[in-house]
Amino acid sequence: MMRRLTVISLNELCQLERIESHHIIEIVENGIVKPIANANSKDWEFDTSSVHWIKKAVRLHQDLEIDWLAVALLIDLIQQRDSLQREKEFFQQQLRRFTQH
Amino acid sequence: MEFKDYYKILGVSKKADVKDIKTAYRKLARKYHPDLNPSEGVGEKFKEIAEAYEVLKDAGRRAKFDEILEYGDQSSQGFQPPPGWQQNQHAYQGDPNADAHFSDFFNSIFNGGFDQSHFHGQAQQHHSRGQDVETELAMSLQETLHQQIKTVHFQLPVSEGGKTHHIKKQLNIKIPQGVINGERIRLKGQGKPGYGGGEPGDLYLHIRVNSHPLFDVKKHDLVLTLPLAPWEAALGTKVTVPTLDGKVTLTIAANTQSGTKLRVKGKGLKRKDKLGDMYVVINVIIPPISNDKATQLWQELAKNSAFDPRVSWGEYL
Repeated sequence: MMRRLTVISLNELCQLERIESHHIIEIVENGIVKPIANANSKDWEFDTSSVHWIKKAVRLHQDLEIDWLAVALLIDLIQQRDSLQREKEFFQQQLRRFTQH
Repeated sequence: MEFKDYYKILGVSKKADVKDIKTAYRKLARKYHPDLNPSEGVGEKFKEIAEAYEVLKDAGRRAKFDEILEYGDQSSQGFQPPPGWQQNQHAYQGDPNADAHFSDFFNSIFNGGFDQSHFHGQAQQHHSRGQDVETELAMSLQETLHQQIKTVHFQLPVSEGGKTHHIKKQLNIKIPQGVINGERIRLKGQGKPGYGGGEPGDLYLHIRVNSHPLFDVKKHDLVLTLPLAPWEAALGTKVTVPTLDGKVTLTIAANTQSGTKLRVKGKGLKRKDKLGDMYVVINVIIPPISNDKATQLWQELAKNSAFDPRVSWGEYL
């Protein structure tokens, strides 16, 4: 049986995913993700959902050649879009349950 | 090998300046970036666009490509570089330095010819770590209530001799209680093998909770739509409803409207320290009239009732 990992440290993230630490600091400072414990940056740890957003932020920063503030705004909008999409699906399903008789 | 016309991919002319190329790339990137557009197939399209931009934004690589474009054979048999073209065939054959982000066409022209380290910050080194792999794991709502041991089947892309093939793998994984739809679980070292003794990548399991025939999910709460007959809603009743792990009996008050929400505490999803609730939403259903007796009873009710459901419409009629 395998051990499931729920957190990844800043160092691990830099080494494993080849993300530069100053990029992760920008991502945290722009509020895109929050480390689990808000201590010194060298002790930061992230959950797997944050890792997903960190990787996305780095890709958007590099591929679209946009600054971190724009990345943060974009990710905010992506998260809002995802949440509205989920809400829409929920209400559509509710509507089907109300009208299927 | 398939020839790629980078000018065509970006939709720019051969005379386009760097500014035009940048504008064309940014416009296409906004449209096809897989993080912005979740449709299938955009990943491959974006890879092609990014590759075209990598070549055309750099004067040296663009000059090399222009040369190929002018003298290369782009016939239907596949692309052949011009005679005497100094491509490093030996290095290309199965060389891990050939960047997996780029096409064979790109690698055959530029492999080793420039520093790739700036692209995604993921330079392929002689001892490089394997890529992470994402796979989906479907679960039922009931399964999220308790810790589960699930067998995950997935495919790992493996590069050998310059070609990529897939090997099938399976793993038994402990899924904790209370996972939610969209959650990601990281399994260290279960991703793509590394190059030259490098560490393997990780496997990310993307949890997908299947929809349930009766229950809908809102964060940690469950929503159950409860159909009631008009007389049950009017007179009140007791109804037994299912929960995810049993059943409960609810008291429906007299004169309950369609859309009324009743909360059943603690019967939602379980998650670490939180326990969600179940909401029961009333849906009053009019029975299809099946006989004269029923019609007669409705007519009697209509005669004796002063109820006007459209009273708020008064000023519009």
